[in-house]
Amino acid sequence: MDEGRSTATLTRPQILVKEATKSFSGRVVVDVEELLLGKRSIEGLIGPNGAGKTTLMRMIMHSTPLDGGEIEFIQTGQNENSVVVLSDLPTHRMAGLGVVKSNQVIMDFNKLTIWDSLLLACSETKYEQPHRIFSERSVYRRHKDEVRAWLDFFPFADPTGFAQSAGEKKLLDIVRCLLLKPRFLLLDEPAAGLSNELTAKVMEAIKFLSDGGTTVVVVEHDLSLVWNICERVHFMAEGQVLLQGEPDEIRKHSTVIEKYLGKGHVAG
Amino acid sequence: MEFFTESIVIGLTQYAPLILSAIGLALIYRLTGLINVAYSETITLGAYIGMWINTTFGFGFYATLLPTGIASGLLSVATYLAIFRPAKQRNAGVLEMIIISFGLSIFLRHGLQFVFGYPVRFYEVPRPRVIRVFDVGVTTFRLLALVSVVVIALLIYWIVQRSRLGLQIRALASDEDLAQVSGIRPLFVTVLIWFIAGAAGGLAGAFWGVGSNVAPLLGWRQFLFIFLVVMVGGAKNIGGVIVIGAITGVALAAMTLHFGQVLYAQLALIVAFVVFMKLRSSRSVGAGKV
Amino acid sequence: MNLDWLDAFLLQGIFQVVMVLGLALLLHLQMGLARIANFGVVGFWGLGAYAFAVLFVKVDWSIGEPWPFLISMAFGAAVAGVAGLLVGWLIADLETEGVLVGTLGFATSVWILAVTEQELTGGALGMGGLRFPFDIGKTKANELLWFGILFAVVALIFYYVFRVHRSPYGRLVIAVGDNEPLAGSLGKPAFRTKLWLFAVGSAGMGLLGAIHGVMAHLLIPESIGINVTLAAMVGLVLGGMARVWGAVIGVILAVGIFDVVVQSYLPLPRSWYTQAIPVLREMIFGATLIAVLIIKPQGILGDMRRDKLTRRMHGG
Repeated sequence: MDEGRSTATLTRPQILVKEATKSFSGRVVVDVEELLLGKRSIEGLIGPNGAGKTTLMRMIMHSTPLDGGEIEFIQTGQNENSVVVLSDLPTHRMAGLGVVKSNQVIMDFNKLTIWDSLLLACSETKYEQPHRIFSERSVYRRHKDEVRAWLDFFPFADPTGFAQSAGEKKLLDIVRCLLLKPRFLLLDEPAAGLSNELTAKVMEAIKFLSDGGTTVVVVEHDLSLVWNICERVHFMAEGQVLLQGEPDEIRKHSTVIEKYLGKGHVAG
Repeated sequence: MEFFTESIVIGLTQYAPLILSAIGLALIYRLTGLINVAYSETITLGAYIGMWINTTFGFGFYATLLPTGIASGLLSVATYLAIFRPAKQRNAGVLEMIIISFGLSIFLRHGLQFVFGYPVRFYEVPRPRVIRVFDVGVTTFRLLALVSVVVIALLIYWIVQRSRLGLQIRALASDEDLAQVSGIRPLFVTVLIWFIAGAAGGLAGAFWGVGSNVAPLLGWRQFLFIFLVVMVGGAKNIGGVIVIGAITGVALAAMTLHFGQVLYAQLALIVAFVVFMKLRSSRSVGAGKV
Repeated sequence: MNLDWLDAFLLQGIFQVVMVLGLALLLHLQMGLARIANFGVVGFWGLGAYAFAVLFVKVDWSIGEPWPFLISMAFGAAVAGVAGLLVGWLIADLETEGVLVGTLGFATSVWILAVTEQELTGGALGMGGLRFPFDIGKTKANELLWFGILFAVVALIFYYVFRVHRSPYGRLVIAVGDNEPLAGSLGKPAFRTKLWLFAVGSAGMGLLGAIHGVMAHLLIPESIGINVTLAAMVGLVLGGMARVWGAVIGVILAVGIFDVVVQSYLPLPRSWYTQAIPVLREMIFGATLIAVLIIKPQGILGDMRRDKLTRRMHGG
């Protein structure tokens, strides 16, 4: 390794999945021997329905426990790497490490407005204590600019109200993730349910984050999006990672992909 | 050794109604996922109905059992059709359903006093014979309670686990839409379950009532323990409830003998079961949604 | 001061209304916001009352008033709070049924201990020796002053709950109650949040219990039964579980009607008051719970209006 050479390049965190398995009712849903996410700044995870992509994402977040194996979070420091075993931690510790995931299905706080949701994401734990009943003003002052910046960038009909459509809820989920200032961002089908313009904006935000040093992994069915933005792609089917490589390499394996996803995806 | 046999004999005969009512509550819990707090009033009203038939028509205790069971079953079905089904149709959440059942329990427990009066009532029956089982004195009523529990438990076990009807019940419990598509009639099966559960509860109440007295709090006083047995025995199958119920009865009897006071036994049971539930939940982390 | 105009029953009734209001406000935080099904309210209330009483009466205090009284009051709240921490730890990661049985089991345990530990609590006969920390004249005057103190405490509880809604903490509690896994994915420690919320609420309930004990002058196990929990729950559900003012409206309507209007103002035959009225009260409370939750589950005041609140706090 290059010792001592101070790099102007950004350190980029990675996630290593080691021999991770998960079964539901006797059926093996995930069986990944080794998967390194984060070699490139924006990576894609593709595969047919039921391939285990979402389950794998949930295992990384440890909201789904692993039947076997381990998942590590590797942050490259100046002289050494620090490794945190994610599969030993509870889900609520992930955000503190900078590991954040958006949701494939609509997940929202029905009782909170859009501003509420976003302030909730930003708010530090020290203000969210039973005795801090006058801290709203401090939290608002600290975070209103970054919240407003995202509210200006993404169109919400009424940010002081509730998210109105499924699309707005999806978008809100993504913006919450962005406000957590993730170092490793997992997006589970971010384009599903969004219009083309909104999808383009989400892609812009992804690029913005990755330029800032965040590793992004996108699970997507819309392959044109994947070929467009991802520098590296992993192809999963039946719980296993079958192919990995740059988009061009993956597209060469058209027969494999078409076997699972049907025709017409490879040309892109 | 004597302590051991005494605990088992007393435990099983005295707490047979506990096992019976736990089976009933578990049936409803298993089918609907609902903890029906008003089930304690099914028990209480079973005792009142049996007592009423006994004192009004002069039937002997054993003769009141069949009408008591039927009446309690019908009452249980009535609460389902009048309260719980409409609530479910309006998409009441889990918390709301529990509070509704709690409200119903309170309503019945106090409403019955306007029908049957405030004072404590009694079955009018001759003193039961005392039979010695393993040298422990047991009343014939309690022996009959135990026999009835065994018979009914076996019957219900056979129905739920082995019969075609049981298959329908279990299918309905796991996936209602799928069950309906397969031709199972949810309403019929559900009503049947509520009837059986109600009958079981009512009979348990009758056995409790004939052994001591019939009072508005009869069922409620037992509810916590019935509930604990159902939670620990597991909603997975009726067998677990029966086993845990039997163990609970014996443990309560043993502790009561040891402490000389039933309340300490109850306290120990509450603590033990709640801690057990906590340990069991810590170990199992479900499939996540995020 | 001439207090002949003040009917003793009326004062008792209003005292009860405000007491239940305090409990309902705390239950609003636990059940209305964090969705913790606390069916053991009376357990914490009773534990606070008995803990206060035991320390105040059974200990041979060498320091002068009002310190034994104040220390005993704080002790009552503290014991209830610690119990809340313990019970909270047991139930915070259980499903709703588990919370129901855990909290109900706790309340039953408190009742059992009140009966069995006769040396400490006087058992079924009760524990006396509780008196006001002051004496300003006739009984009615003392009771009125003590009611004033209760009112001040409940007003403080109201203010706290009011502020919680407008603070980051409140937002967190609502989020945890609304969608716990999602809150976890944002890094929020849901278990810890529910645990401390439960403990703080329990301490408040314990304090209210101690205040009740002083007014009642005699603590008996019979008074720590499920009807106290029921009254708070009915008031909260009737007015609106998710609204601060819900507790106020609901409790005034439900408990106020029975403990004030029916008790003091309706000209009913005296014999009815011993049995019929109390039984009818519970029966109607039960029916109210069923009716509200089936017909309009959010209660009279309806759901939380956080859009209005957001606009008011952070502008359009």
